[in-house]
Amino acid sequence: MKKAKLVNCIFGCLVAIIVTISSAWSAQDEKNSPGFAWKDGAEIYTKICAYCHEAHVGPQIRNRELPAAYIRAIVRNGNRAMPAFRPSEIDDESLIKLADFISNKEAQH
Amino acid sequence: MASQYIALPKGVSEKNFNAAIRDFRKVLGDTSVLTSAEQLAPYIKTMMPVPDGDHTPSAALLATTVEQIQKIVAICNQYKVPVWMISTGKNLGYGSAAPAERGQVVLDLKRMNRILEVDKDLAFALVEPGATYQQLYDYIKEHKLGLWLSMPAPSAIAGPVGNTLDRGVGYTPYGEHFLFACGMEVVLANGEVLRTGMGSMPNSNTWQVFKWGYGPYLDGIFTQSNYGIVTKFGFWLMPEPPAFKPFVIQYQHEEDIVEIVETIRPLRISGVIPNAVVIAHALYEAPVKAKRSDYVSGPGSIPDEAVYRIMKDHKLGIWNVYAALYGTQEQIDVNWKIVTQAFGESGKAKILTEQEAADDPAFAYRAKLMRGEMTLTEFSLYNWRGGGGSMWFAPVSQARGSETLKQMALTKQIFAKYGLDYSGEFIVGMRDMHHIVDVLYDKTDPEQTKAAYQCFDELLTEFSARGYGTYRVNTAFMDKVAETYGPVQRKVHKTLKKALDPNGIIAPGKSGIR
Ligand SMILES: Cc1cc2nc3c(=O)[nH]c(=O)nc-3n(C[C@H](O)[C@H](O)[C@H](O)COP(=O)(O)OP(=O)(O)OC[C@H]3O[C@@H](n4cnc5c(N)ncnc54)[C@H](O)[C@@H]3O)c2cc1C
Repeated sequence: MKKAKLVNCIFGCLVAIIVTISSAWSAQDEKNSPGFAWKDGAEIYTKICAYCHEAHVGPQIRNRELPAAYIRAIVRNGNRAMPAFRPSEIDDESLIKLADFISNKEAQH
Repeated sequence: MASQYIALPKGVSEKNFNAAIRDFRKVLGDTSVLTSAEQLAPYIKTMMPVPDGDHTPSAALLATTVEQIQKIVAICNQYKVPVWMISTGKNLGYGSAAPAERGQVVLDLKRMNRILEVDKDLAFALVEPGATYQQLYDYIKEHKLGLWLSMPAPSAIAGPVGNTLDRGVGYTPYGEHFLFACGMEVVLANGEVLRTGMGSMPNSNTWQVFKWGYGPYLDGIFTQSNYGIVTKFGFWLMPEPPAFKPFVIQYQHEEDIVEIVETIRPLRISGVIPNAVVIAHALYEAPVKAKRSDYVSGPGSIPDEAVYRIMKDHKLGIWNVYAALYGTQEQIDVNWKIVTQAFGESGKAKILTEQEAADDPAFAYRAKLMRGEMTLTEFSLYNWRGGGGSMWFAPVSQARGSETLKQMALTKQIFAKYGLDYSGEFIVGMRDMHHIVDVLYDKTDPEQTKAAYQCFDELLTEFSARGYGTYRVNTAFMDKVAETYGPVQRKVHKTLKKALDPNGIIAPGKSGIR
């Protein structure tokens, strides 16, 4: 038991040291361009939603004046067969744009 | 006093967890450490027939750099807090984005999503875990690189890192994805950063072109495992061929699977048919075209008579063999002759190409998958029963007709016992087949949910008793499958775990390893 604790402690200290040493190497790579970001609601709709909701897999959702809050809740929680989408996939700001895009009448775009 | 968390990691006090969360926030900032029920909702939904509470995370961490991940593992070691990694987090039917065990912290790498390099000449890519196939597809198109992806059916919303690390499959000649992986960067539990293969050598430019490096090959131990956190991943892409010819071959009787497999095997091994062929049962294809309720009502499996009606109404075979030829037109012409001769011999096969079947929705989406185009049409499967319940039963079979027939008959028999339908397909590897069956059930119906659980459990028991192993499984059954591979493998897995992660902070429970 004691031995296990000691091993854990040594391991913990090692971790701290290694993080300091090897972060310099990995940090170089992190300077590159930032990651992917969504342009607007239409792009998210086309590159995620439409593959089901415009393909007779999921129900049609555009032009039905679905409340934006309802859309946001379904995206985050999923619904039966529909997977949930995390804020890391569709950030909160983009989700507002997406919900607007879906709930607004097509003519307004 | 009620806990401020929706779950806690096993054996970690709230006080210690508070301290860990405080330290995570110092590294990532407040907005990238999620702990409320509302924030964690998308990490909880699974398709498995077990209570969501069994797989509820305590928190989710949205890391974006290797350095952050190194600091996270240090905190995890300090407080003995386990993390569960997801890359794109769409492991649907295998556990989705939820952790293997209640209370684990999800380390969500989706925001670490840069495409670091795509080399047109050497046809390889180096990406971060959060990059999706859609992102890569757009990148390749935008830069006119003339390269094709191989992806699983959830294409657009999944990604190469998570899929390959779970040893997933696609449908092009590069369909056995891990065969085409080349070089990883891995953050180890002690915070060290390992680059596998040639990546270990400073200034090497061969990390993405030579898989083996020097000494024991390590990449394999970071797949379906919990020995490290993969932060960069290299893989090969297929040059766009000058010509592409998808086709489907339909058969009318279930026993014909023997002839199909015996015909395909030599064509596949010799490379005449280069891609991961799919032999799909009518009930795997039917949801794209038909509604179950139009053919059957009430409890129980769908009767064979109804399946034959569906086939007739929707122009399906009981088996539908999807494959493609790739290359120059001359190469395709030669190989097409060989294929049609081989399949034409018995007079049982109906061979259709794009000319006859382009408008058929099942053919159209299969053709897309065989050329690396985005589609989510296969999600139609979930309309069959409704209610969002699904588990993939995925035993491996020899590419031998008699074996595939045996596996199908056994599966059907067990499904019938629990009133479920056999939605199965065989994905043809180089010498094996992944027998993939979607255990579809209505998760809103407690009786069906219970039946699905018992059905899956019995499938695993009966198949392993006959020496049929499962290649991959959802998080509710990982221990059971690990058990079927025997004590020696389990011991070796555990020995490696102890050596690399003595505090057990990386995804305990993955593949039954703790
Ligand atoms: C209709 C449908 C069809 C499907 N068809 C296919 C198919 O054709 N082929 C197929 O393979 N699958 C298929 N799937 C299953 C699954 O959706 C895919 O395999 C998908 O690619 C996995 O999700 P992901 O790519 O987002 O990986 P993730 O969910 O991100 O990762 C998968 C697993 O890999 C491990 N992991 C992830 N990231 C890391 C990391 N950075 N370091 C270490 N370990 C890590 C974790 O254990 C994680 O659970 C299908 C699912 C559905 C719903």
